[in-house]
Amino acid sequence: MSWLPVVALLAGFIIFYFVPLQLPSDYAPYLSLATLSGLDSILGGIRAGIEGKFHVDVFISGFIFNTLLAALLAYLGDQIGVDLFLAAVVTLGGRMFLNLSLIRRYYLTQWNISRQRDAERT
Amino acid sequence: MNLNVFLSSIRNNPWVTPVTVMALVLGALLAVSLKTQQSIRSTSLPSNRFSGLAAAYRDQQEQLKMANEEISKLRERTTQYENEMASASEKTKLLNNALQEAKFLAGLTPVEGPGVEVVLQDSKKRPPANSPIDIENYIIHDSDLQRVVNELHAAGAEAVSINGQRIIATTAIRCVGPTIQVNGIALSSPYVIHAIGDPDTLMGALNLPQGVLTDIQAIDPDMVKVTKKSNVQIPAYTGSLVFRYAKPVVATPGNTSQEKGDGVR
Repeated sequence: MSWLPVVALLAGFIIFYFVPLQLPSDYAPYLSLATLSGLDSILGGIRAGIEGKFHVDVFISGFIFNTLLAALLAYLGDQIGVDLFLAAVVTLGGRMFLNLSLIRRYYLTQWNISRQRDAERT
Repeated sequence: MNLNVFLSSIRNNPWVTPVTVMALVLGALLAVSLKTQQSIRSTSLPSNRFSGLAAAYRDQQEQLKMANEEISKLRERTTQYENEMASASEKTKLLNNALQEAKFLAGLTPVEGPGVEVVLQDSKKRPPANSPIDIENYIIHDSDLQRVVNELHAAGAEAVSINGQRIIATTAIRCVGPTIQVNGIALSSPYVIHAIGDPDTLMGALNLPQGVLTDIQAIDPDMVKVTKKSNVQIPAYTGSLVFRYAKPVVATPGNTSQEKGDGVR
């Protein structure tokens, strides 16, 4: 049932795309970073799930806290004139690639195993 | 049966439900983010295009310069043709003389002759601490150039240019940001004003007590340098000469527009 999050993602996207909610463009960079952080948390959660290390409290708090932190960090960076924005993008981006590759490997292995089983059965 | 598989899979994978809930939130974030970015793209200029615009601006400036050079060449050739045509008959000769005079007055021909060179530049000094004098007085303003050009004309200057920009009847001297535009061309300090006329008269007019340069010289004498020149070269005006609104009034004998204007006596 690992496709459920994907369905939820699409549902959330479609619903809010048609809800007339929009932030002032001044906050756009922070919102983007929050989105990136949220994506990172989701991928991290899936990875933890398939590795059997998933904890609901860690996941939920991580999602909310990291999202706010990323936006806050970018804001702070803007205030003091340092591109902390970039630091967050690099860190989150790197982690997202790592998590994605682990998730991909896991499902690839599963698929291979089930195929071998099918081959043995026949 | 199918539902049982569904439920058991959720039970076996405790991460699916929370991740699904949060994925919903992430979807919302993505949607709002996307919409905001779209509206930014459609309404404002992203800052990362500034460098590209700067390059385009430089390109345009370069092209403008080349076009202006072409204009002055073509205008020179026109003068040549006019002179050649003038040799045809006495009438055309007279016409051409009048034409050349008008072009001379309009600033369409490069000219040379005795005159003065006035160099105005921003002061390298800064006002001393606690000085009541504003730092604005330490730089050359458009008004300074206007007053000097005005004074030169008043003293009988026949042709004036600032940094190679010929002053003609429609020339505007104005402040645009950190530069001064003359004929729509941005100039910056030092400003070299060339004027053709009687050097002594021009010099005298500029150095009048309480004259146009007095205030500037009081701030910093290095901001102004006036020198007499035995030969000053002033280029022709290369800008546009298209008149879209002003039309010459055709004067008919006995009923000129001026007489009409004098109707109220």
